[in-house]
Amino acid sequence: MRLTLRSLAEAWNRFFFAKQSPLPIALFRIAYGLLVIATLVLLRPDWLAWYGPHSWISLQTMQTAEPGTRINLFTVIPQTDSWINAFFWVFLASAILLSAGLFTRINSVIVFLCLTSIHQRNLYITHGGDTFLRLAGFFLMFAPAGAALSLDRLVRIWRRSNKGTAEQDDVIQPQRPWAQRMIQLQLSLLYFVAFLTKVKSPLWLNRTALYYVYHLDSLRRFPVPAWLLGATTLRWAGWSAIALEFSLGILIWVKDLRYYLLALGLLFHLCLEYSLNISLFQWDVLSGYILFIDPADAARAWNWIKLRLTGRRVEPG
Amino acid sequence: MKVDHEKRDHPRWIPKATILAINLFLIFHIVAIACWCVPLNLPPILLCRKLVRPYFLWAGLFQAWDMFAPTPWPANSYVEATVIYKDGSRTTWPLPRMEQLSLTDRYFKERYRKFSEVIQIDDNDALWPDVARHIARLNSTPSNPVKTIILIRWYSVIIPRPDGSYQPEPWDRHVLLGYGVRPEDLQ
Repeated sequence: MRLTLRSLAEAWNRFFFAKQSPLPIALFRIAYGLLVIATLVLLRPDWLAWYGPHSWISLQTMQTAEPGTRINLFTVIPQTDSWINAFFWVFLASAILLSAGLFTRINSVIVFLCLTSIHQRNLYITHGGDTFLRLAGFFLMFAPAGAALSLDRLVRIWRRSNKGTAEQDDVIQPQRPWAQRMIQLQLSLLYFVAFLTKVKSPLWLNRTALYYVYHLDSLRRFPVPAWLLGATTLRWAGWSAIALEFSLGILIWVKDLRYYLLALGLLFHLCLEYSLNISLFQWDVLSGYILFIDPADAARAWNWIKLRLTGRRVEPG
Repeated sequence: MKVDHEKRDHPRWIPKATILAINLFLIFHIVAIACWCVPLNLPPILLCRKLVRPYFLWAGLFQAWDMFAPTPWPANSYVEATVIYKDGSRTTWPLPRMEQLSLTDRYFKERYRKFSEVIQIDDNDALWPDVARHIARLNSTPSNPVKTIILIRWYSVIIPRPDGSYQPEPWDRHVLLGYGVRPEDLQ
């Protein structure tokens, strides 16, 4: 028993605290920032309609319908068009800086606060992808997201070079991945809960659920061949979706299966992106796949790119 | 020993305390998030949800992953408003409908699809007056203000057929709200 507890503790420590290359979390930071930017760009034409003082749902109604103390910057800024617009530009600037990796920590905090605020301000227009970004943003605040592929790192190297100690900082230092692991766990939980919810549903078990989904006019994006919408195909597609959600929720942690499942998941989400009109959802979820790339593979790929671009090899650390 | 203290810029206990704090943070969040989203209503899970609810609402950690489950939206539907002006004239004002938009517009207006779904649910009737007021503001002019808004839900039920074919059902309507617009609503 003692041995088991010890081995559990060791496994826990290896999983959360064994230092590894920060390249996956840095790549995720870039993807995350770009997705936040894309979300904002798509929201821009209706920004005031959703969040302004004369919006579809007033701040007061929102607080009545969804009570509770919440992080919501809209409750502390004046409710005028100019302030709400200023909020947009601060949010956008911070997301750009986060993608670039400049003042990464502070910008990850600002982006999380702003993202949570727009969700809390109008919860009725958010989808699962938004939720994933919000949750990932929470843990990203604690991650060493600026340790690689960032302007922060270039600044550090530049400062060291001025002091004549550049060599040691030119290597990307390994970091503890506990915050990255939490985002990974969050993504796998997303799939596993989706699996559990579906297997409890008679419509999914009798395999007619996708019939409804693919006959909703408002969800249709590009035309799907008629034979793919046949009863048999939709039934098999429904069960395949359930099986894949289980696999991406649980089996994703089996290292030998990981890349196969990520490839299947990528294909799955690209099919959904083609056929269903759910703005950015697929890309939001797919961004989390980056964190499942083996740091050694990410480092190898980064070295390869760096070698091609600069002729210099960088050790992953 | 002295040398160690000179080299270190913080006391020895800080790294250990940090790791302990991180471990507590991790254990709490893993347990709390799992209890929050797993679709089981066992007493310990319900208790856990109740305990973490204030923190989750505050921090934005609440989540639901019921994508198209347990029941996908079972009907094609949309919301439109009948706008009645002070001079007695009337017009129909629909919320943006994805199927009538270009591909680009669908990306920009997709939030209206979600919003339209939400306001069609009777449990969300507290939102209807705000929606009516917003539509009134969009359609009013100083010379001819909007007097009444009637929110209507149009729907065509999707009925699966054994052979998988699809026949659109006739459209039906359900009045969500009739709202008398007050002058202050248009401010």
